[in-house]
Amino acid sequence: MEDLIEITVTVNGRAVHERVPARMHAADFLRGQLGLTGTHVGCEQGVCGMCTVLLDGEAVKSCLLLAPQLDGHEVATVESLAPDEGLAPLQQAFKEAHALQCGFCTPGFLMTATALARSGRTLSRDDIREELTGVLCRCTGYENIVTAVDRHINGEHVDV
Amino acid sequence: MSETLEQTRTRANGVGAAALRKEDDRLLRGDGRFTDDVDPAHALHMAIGRCPFPHARILEIDVSAAAELEGVQQILVGAEVAQRTEPISVLRPVPGAPQLPYYALAGEVCVYEGQPVVSVVATSRAVAEDAIELIDIDYDPLPHVSDVLEALADDAPVLHPLQLSSNLLATNPQGNGDPDAVMAAAHIVVSDRFRINRVTGLPMEPRAIVAHWRPGARELTAHVSTQVPHLVRMQLAESLRLDEGDVRVITSDVGGGFGLKLGVYPEDVLACLHAIDLRRPVKWTEDRLEHFRATTHAREAVHDFAIGADADGRITAMTNTYTTDLGGQNSPFGSAQLSSIVFTGPYRVDDGFVQRRVALTNKTPVGAYRGYGQPEVNFARELLMDRLARRLGIDPLELRMRNMLAQEDLPWRNPAGALYDSGDYRLALQMVADAVDYDALRAAGRERPDGRRVGIGLTSFVERTGYASAKFLANRGSRYGAHESVTLRANRSGGIDLFTGVSSMGQSSETAFAQICSQVHGIAFDAIRVHAGDTGATPLNTGAFASRTLIAAAGAVSAAATELRDKTLRIAAHRLELDDVDGLEVDGDAVVVQGDPSRRIPLAELHMAAIIGQGIPVDEHPGLEATAHFEPEHAAYAFGSAAAVVAVDPETGDFEIERFVLVHDCGTMVNPTLVDGQVRGALAQGFGAALSEELRYDADTGQLVNGSMLDYFVPTAADLPPIELHHTEVPSPFTTFGVRGVGEIGTIPPGAAIANAVCDALADFDVQISRLPVTPELVWRELQQARNRSETP
Amino acid sequence: MKPAPLQYVRPASVAEAVDALEEHGGMARVLAGGQSLVPMLGMRLMRPSALVDINDLGAELGKIDGRGEETVIGALVRYSALETSPVIAERLPLLQEVVRHIGDRQVRNRGTIGGAVAQSDPTGEMPLVCLTLGARVVARSVRGERTIPIEEFFEGSYANALEPEELLVGLRFPLAPVHCRFFERGRKHNDFALLSIAVAGSPDADGRWSGVRIGLGGVNDTPVLAEAAAARLEGRTWDTATIAEAAELALEAADPPDDVRASAEYRNHLLPIQLRRVLTDLAGAEPWKT
Repeated sequence: MEDLIEITVTVNGRAVHERVPARMHAADFLRGQLGLTGTHVGCEQGVCGMCTVLLDGEAVKSCLLLAPQLDGHEVATVESLAPDEGLAPLQQAFKEAHALQCGFCTPGFLMTATALARSGRTLSRDDIREELTGVLCRCTGYENIVTAVDRHINGEHVDV
Repeated sequence: MSETLEQTRTRANGVGAAALRKEDDRLLRGDGRFTDDVDPAHALHMAIGRCPFPHARILEIDVSAAAELEGVQQILVGAEVAQRTEPISVLRPVPGAPQLPYYALAGEVCVYEGQPVVSVVATSRAVAEDAIELIDIDYDPLPHVSDVLEALADDAPVLHPLQLSSNLLATNPQGNGDPDAVMAAAHIVVSDRFRINRVTGLPMEPRAIVAHWRPGARELTAHVSTQVPHLVRMQLAESLRLDEGDVRVITSDVGGGFGLKLGVYPEDVLACLHAIDLRRPVKWTEDRLEHFRATTHAREAVHDFAIGADADGRITAMTNTYTTDLGGQNSPFGSAQLSSIVFTGPYRVDDGFVQRRVALTNKTPVGAYRGYGQPEVNFARELLMDRLARRLGIDPLELRMRNMLAQEDLPWRNPAGALYDSGDYRLALQMVADAVDYDALRAAGRERPDGRRVGIGLTSFVERTGYASAKFLANRGSRYGAHESVTLRANRSGGIDLFTGVSSMGQSSETAFAQICSQVHGIAFDAIRVHAGDTGATPLNTGAFASRTLIAAAGAVSAAATELRDKTLRIAAHRLELDDVDGLEVDGDAVVVQGDPSRRIPLAELHMAAIIGQGIPVDEHPGLEATAHFEPEHAAYAFGSAAAVVAVDPETGDFEIERFVLVHDCGTMVNPTLVDGQVRGALAQGFGAALSEELRYDADTGQLVNGSMLDYFVPTAADLPPIELHHTEVPSPFTTFGVRGVGEIGTIPPGAAIANAVCDALADFDVQISRLPVTPELVWRELQQARNRSETP
Repeated sequence: MKPAPLQYVRPASVAEAVDALEEHGGMARVLAGGQSLVPMLGMRLMRPSALVDINDLGAELGKIDGRGEETVIGALVRYSALETSPVIAERLPLLQEVVRHIGDRQVRNRGTIGGAVAQSDPTGEMPLVCLTLGARVVARSVRGERTIPIEEFFEGSYANALEPEELLVGLRFPLAPVHCRFFERGRKHNDFALLSIAVAGSPDADGRWSGVRIGLGGVNDTPVLAEAAAARLEGRTWDTATIAEAAELALEAADPPDDVRASAEYRNHLLPIQLRRVLTDLAGAEPWKT
């Protein structure tokens, strides 16, 4: 069998110690080894953005990271967002704006938008659109996603 | 039905309400259950070795090195699969076509790049892929053909010589009147050849299956990402030589389907075979490189379209002979068939003829994709409408109005036999013109101070949604019917469990079905729990495709909800010691006496009484459950018009879509928010196919050039033009509540509207566009051509 | 799409990293941002015996330093750091403008300048801007450190002058003109360039330009300098005719590919038009303001 590498990672606030093959994608580690299946895999090429998670607070594509690289770092996945019951405000904004259909890309958008909201930047609707281009969606046509993120970050306002 | 609707239209989260979706909470929390999320203990993983050539004979397969690799459990090759399985059946074969049987793994000859040749199961996907690399396959490449028209040439290599003498699979003519004679007598005829690009639907979730076999129980459980779990069950049982009773298909969340996940693919059969042999769960999830070669492509076709008209621009005849590309062999569903039925669009045409030719090429099989032939034919017809207008010096808006069917003309049967149900087509077009301020734009002229040229492009269309009955389908060899079904079962918490074979793939059927159930029954929307996609728990149905789910399911849900409500009211009347149910209704969580809110019985109490059979009328059976099936009498024809306003840079061919307006009608809207969501989503795919998406094959090697996410250009959030949506809401007389399908309509107008707008902008140069996608390079090339034409006397 | 078996090495210093590269005899690859490397591993287009992960070497390789006229950027500096760095804004505004065209947010959070230059994608924005600004590549191996002028660095599509045992440790940029422009055209947002143009130069008080450099991407198998075009512009004021001549001369540097993004013919058509527009814009405008 392949050599396994020991890693210690803080995932969604909890420290985990695991042994992983050197070639394992971080996304596969989160899904297959930790059971955090909210992070999806759509292309393994870093294009579609389904697998976006926060690495030390920054949005990154977890199919472009190898599991051993996570050692010593903090990862947050979509499972970290909601309180025990109900939805986090960003998630609620998605629901109210009908910003998801099949829902496969949704975790990627939520994690990208989470980092964006925390950045404290002032963002126009076009800035938001630009910041979300790293996640593809084939169902919604994006407009409602932009609306949800815009409302979450900038509050309700009349769209121009 | 519509009376019921009108009476109770105001019900919270009933029909017409913008209810928030039932599907959302789990998906937002990362608790969706997509097939790859299913992770049974002791699962093994499959990888597929695929043919790298477009056409090749397999001389020898040596698996010895792979078999010795640590972790490899089993390897299958084509000969064994052919012995142990039946060919994969085609759900909607081309009428009149001979069968072209194919197995899950290639036999002696491969007919497309990406065709499965070997399958390996190992302890991990990585090891299975290691093993694939160790399998030595000796191929003898054969002459190949990629182009759909070249495939029909006399000297083309014939892909299936045992069944066919050429690569023409079938020819399907339809028509009415005497179009040839009328065309010959026409004052003017415009005609051209239009080439439609090969694209793919690209759902974000790749295909996936997890199969598990319990030999003692003779039970095969397959979690499959599919739009049609009950049809997959049939196809798996047939291919694997099992009884349907042995097979249970479970489909939880599907990450987009768009027509690509219609039926059994080779990998599904293979995963099941391995699982049966190994007695362990076997999992396969398609990777994106496989997806581009092994999941169906769509649309590619060549349309030869002609329109004849009199001097006033009144259309006298339309003809369209088109050739669609099936690829190397059949796909599980079959290729797009709806270019024929809507070829005349929303115009009055009495003499018309349309003919589909289906050709085989050495490319990935073509299957269903959102729109299913309708965007293709719309592009050809609507570009010619603009050319006709230009030739006659009539404004394109006026030309369309002159020919468009009036509201009072409907119902109307077109030359291909389509029965248009109802609608005000002219109003939709006029609303588009008003929304873009058509007259003012025209008056402003085409030239901009920055050197760019501005153009307006129009398109009008009808869209068939749903099917015209099971009889219609059966006559065409279809292996499914036109009905939907639902089971409603009262539970002891006072809620209703709604069971449907329609899997959730983003179309929001859970929400829409619950809205209809709440509307008809009276129970609160939140008290309805939808259980979807498990063939072991849901009534046999057809599935989620062809914009047909709601058209059929609205009737089924409505009938079952009526039955359940009536029995509930009878039990309530009995317990309230009333003579009959007059004056009783379900209101949220209880049955109430109208006008006397103090007299109410909670549904929880009534459901419990019914379930245990205590305290119910003597002539009632215990239990509170209803199953209903519904098949609509006819298809319903959605319709609309659209306009694009573009600014073109004549030096580079770059263009910007400054506005895009769509007015559409999908009949009664069950949920207007969801309707807009469906339309916007399909528009995004329409823009992708119109502007940038194209699967290209190398002319020499016959190999797919851009089969990866990096080189197949799907729109991002920053690539779509501003979109304005408006709608009319004319109920269909043929469906429950008057609904029409809505999932596909957005794919239809972008290509035609954009191309017409670009040609309009460049009208001074007489630029003509006859192919998709419309790229800046294409616009530049067409400008060059137009300039060359004008310089040649 | 899983990588072939490989070893994973995570050195704690540059010295350890170059030791590891040496130890694997040129069969190891350096893992920095991984945004291009990891997909290639998954597609098995690359099968190194080991990955040398330099992501822990931020102390040695993660700095942006303005030293006199020179700006030194460590190989591990990520695009997102370049995007917001005040030092880059002041000293290399073209670099900062270009970074915003690279990939998407997630890619910019992870991708590094060293990785991009070592990847040597002929359509890549970072190789183009480094070439246009005349950077020098600093590489280290167990045999020591050397500096490679960027003009001698790119050797072909995805090929460069680095030895397999060498680690790209940083880039040294000379003083850059503040007058600069960047243009890029792809097939969609975030796409690889089918044509990219970077221009930098300095006008004097009389409007005569010096230090003119024009970099082109997507039109050859490496990013290239349009030297004849730049020479035509050097030391002159830019009137319409001069600009038009220079724009045509740029074609001398182009030998574009025919691929899924565009035909060679179309790229050749676009190049002089877009360069003319870029130069016209630059000639009539203020220095780049960020």
